[in-house]
Amino acid sequence: MASIREQFEIPSKMKTWAYALIGVGVVSFAIGLFTKGMGTEEEKAIFLGTIMYNTIFWTLVCNASMFFLCATTMAWAGWPAAFRRIPEAISTMVPIFGSITLVVLLYAVFSHNPHIYHWSIDSVVANDPILKGKSGFLNVKFFTIWSLLAVGLWSFFGYRMRQLSSMADDAALGGMTGAQFIKQNTVRAATFLVWFGLTVGSTIHWLWMMSLDAHWYSTMYSWYNFASTFVSGMALIALWLIYMKNKGYMEYATNEHLHDIAKFMFAFSIFWTYLWFSQYMLIWYSNQPEEIIYFKHRVQGPYKGIFFLNLIINFVCPVIILMKRSSKRNYTLVTFMAVLIIFGHWIDYYQEVMGSISKNHVTLGWFDFGILSFFVGVMIFGVSKALASKPLVPKYHPFLKESIIHHT
Amino acid sequence: MSLKYESQLREPLVYGNKTYHQVTEDIIRPIEAKPSKLWYIGFYIAVALLLFGVYSIYREVTYGIGQWNLNKTIGWGWDITNFVWWVGIGHAGTLISAILLLFRQGWRTGVNRAAEAMTIFAVMCAGQFPIWHMGRVWMAFFVMPYPNSRGPLWVNFNSPLLWDVFAISTYFTVSLLFWYSGLIPDFATVRDRAKTKLRKHLYGIASFGWTGSTKHWQRHESLSLVLAGLSTPLVLSVHTIVSFDFATSVIPGWHTTIFPPYFVAGAVFSGFAMVQSLMIIVRKVFGMEDYVTMGHIEAMNKVIVLTGSIVGIAYLTELFMGWYSQNKYEGYTFWYSRANLFSPYGWSYWGMMACNVLSPQIFWSRKMRRNLYVTFFMSVIVNIGMWFERFVIIVTSIYRDYLPSSWSVYYSPSTWEIGFYLGSFGLFFTCFFLFAKYMPVIAVAEIKYVLKISGESYKDDMASIENKDAEQFGHEMAHAH
Repeated sequence: MASIREQFEIPSKMKTWAYALIGVGVVSFAIGLFTKGMGTEEEKAIFLGTIMYNTIFWTLVCNASMFFLCATTMAWAGWPAAFRRIPEAISTMVPIFGSITLVVLLYAVFSHNPHIYHWSIDSVVANDPILKGKSGFLNVKFFTIWSLLAVGLWSFFGYRMRQLSSMADDAALGGMTGAQFIKQNTVRAATFLVWFGLTVGSTIHWLWMMSLDAHWYSTMYSWYNFASTFVSGMALIALWLIYMKNKGYMEYATNEHLHDIAKFMFAFSIFWTYLWFSQYMLIWYSNQPEEIIYFKHRVQGPYKGIFFLNLIINFVCPVIILMKRSSKRNYTLVTFMAVLIIFGHWIDYYQEVMGSISKNHVTLGWFDFGILSFFVGVMIFGVSKALASKPLVPKYHPFLKESIIHHT
Repeated sequence: MSLKYESQLREPLVYGNKTYHQVTEDIIRPIEAKPSKLWYIGFYIAVALLLFGVYSIYREVTYGIGQWNLNKTIGWGWDITNFVWWVGIGHAGTLISAILLLFRQGWRTGVNRAAEAMTIFAVMCAGQFPIWHMGRVWMAFFVMPYPNSRGPLWVNFNSPLLWDVFAISTYFTVSLLFWYSGLIPDFATVRDRAKTKLRKHLYGIASFGWTGSTKHWQRHESLSLVLAGLSTPLVLSVHTIVSFDFATSVIPGWHTTIFPPYFVAGAVFSGFAMVQSLMIIVRKVFGMEDYVTMGHIEAMNKVIVLTGSIVGIAYLTELFMGWYSQNKYEGYTFWYSRANLFSPYGWSYWGMMACNVLSPQIFWSRKMRRNLYVTFFMSVIVNIGMWFERFVIIVTSIYRDYLPSSWSVYYSPSTWEIGFYLGSFGLFFTCFFLFAKYMPVIAVAEIKYVLKISGESYKDDMASIENKDAEQFGHEMAHAH
């Protein structure tokens, strides 16, 4: 009986790629710092904003992996057991990307750049009755504390989930019975999810992104962005699963598992569109100045192309391409779609953040891709490290056998 | 070794040592027996309520909308509240049969039939309210867009009220098809067991000549998947469009972008509560505790605490934005007309918060999720809360509009408004009693489908696999193919 390959060894090629991508990112950052970061306030804002949307996006996409684990845990789903070490590994990036996010956001808020968080400038707030009215929420102190708490607790609760999962590597299950182990999992997952609801499901996107247009508001905003990062998170899990399968790991995860992950990509692409439509249509329909101001330059101004590209990539493509059963089980197509979905939602984050910072011209260019390459590089490096640090299969997970025979 | 394995940590979905025949016996027997006294009492009460409703509608049609206490400011009151409430309830059935089917949730088999039936009846009740609210109901056909001789009088395609007509009628049609196609094999079972000629004949017609051949099953299964695929977006679209009725307007408290998903979550929430209320009674009266187990009830309570919390986040988001927007009209609606307990309708807002957000949190406790009394009580509380929600949304937003001169006096319903609402209960329960008498309340064929994986005695047989090493198990499975 040939035993399964439990230990991931990072291929040297992968390391090279990760270093190269990080290198490109660092060089871009350095060039950007001198060409943009030292210029006018607006140039500085573009420089910082570009790093900002990248780091927020990657933090939340990696955090979506932990959300996936916790949600499936609460639902008593058995099927993810065979590949759950992949989302676990991706979620280890939350503290790393989260720290970068905190540094960038706190720099943005304490540097008082008028093109980013203009509510952080006292003299502006003093002359703006609306901002003054909001200052109970939009203030530097609350922003700092809440952001620290958000990242800190996502990381902590995520760590607790992973720690528990490691116990399934050992037959003793940390001294628990299978039932106790599952119960402990649900308790920890629930804690994460409650905090997730209070942050990603509501406040965090208001603070970090919606407040860039401090006068504008939309109750849908956070749910919409949650959908964006969740579907990208599923795509990222699919990419890693396919990579590991191609390298001969993850024997228990089959086409059936991939099919189900791709179903999530398909379904939540539609769900994202549903939320997109609900937000956009209601604002368009009532045509009130204080609401449509957000979309004005995005739909009719310089961002028009990106606005429609966003819909094509994130809705039309997944619906058409992922509709068929066979395409959800095809490595090439799922890889293609996963890359496309991640790229599409990255573009969505781009237009949400940069569309508010640089309203008059689209800045998308080498710098954006340079910074993106840094985050992709760090992600590859970090996730592969995390994968190599643990057995790939939680051998004694009570639901592993269900996952092995999973049939979609 | 077969592929049939399920973790012992999961509770059985069917208790007892059941065979296929036993399942048929247990579920079909109530149809063949004479209804109990309790059934007659319940049925007559329902019919009485229905008749009272019919009389209330007769008053309204004969004398006009003036029979209700609506006025120019509060143009929507109990009628539209009840409409949205019933439509919301009609969401659980299709969610259970479609979305849970796509998610491969085995526990849906115990409750899907009754939930689907409930959905259809609830949508029928919901439909009454906008129809009779038209006043001149004989003009109701005006909502149909067809070339006509009424000149410029044409439906308004820009109006979400018209989208409602399409959304709800589509939803009703697909739900009905879904429910009926599931019933066909079960009708055939009743037909094959029939002892009287009449029963054989009637169930024979109803089952469309079903023989149970492989071909029939094959088509049946693909039809189920197609219908599930069709109804999944419908589950979301119906309440989305109902929410558009409000959200497309510029009324404070209505115009908010989170409405569509939050309405859907609320609908699922109230639908599941109604399924709980009904199933707790049905399982007891028909002695079906082996099929609708505590596990089923617990699972539904989990859905209730989940959707209740989602709705809670939405309420708080709205309330927060009422302040954050710094829009004085939004602020007035949310912080004065609603959240202020001492404002005229403040009681309804706090009733809603208490019933929908606070009280379902009790279901974080497993003990409470598995307590029948608590579950039944909570299922009623949730539906009271969801009624309040619609009342809060409708009345507290419009009773004081932009012009203080048109502010309304306190609105309370007339006897005939209440009568209409009671009548809708009559319609709902009359249908449900008839359903429970003449149709299998649990999907016999679907229970058989999960029996050999999740039935208690079958699970006992797989106990030996539980301690097997995963690697060895995986190896054996790979060779079993």
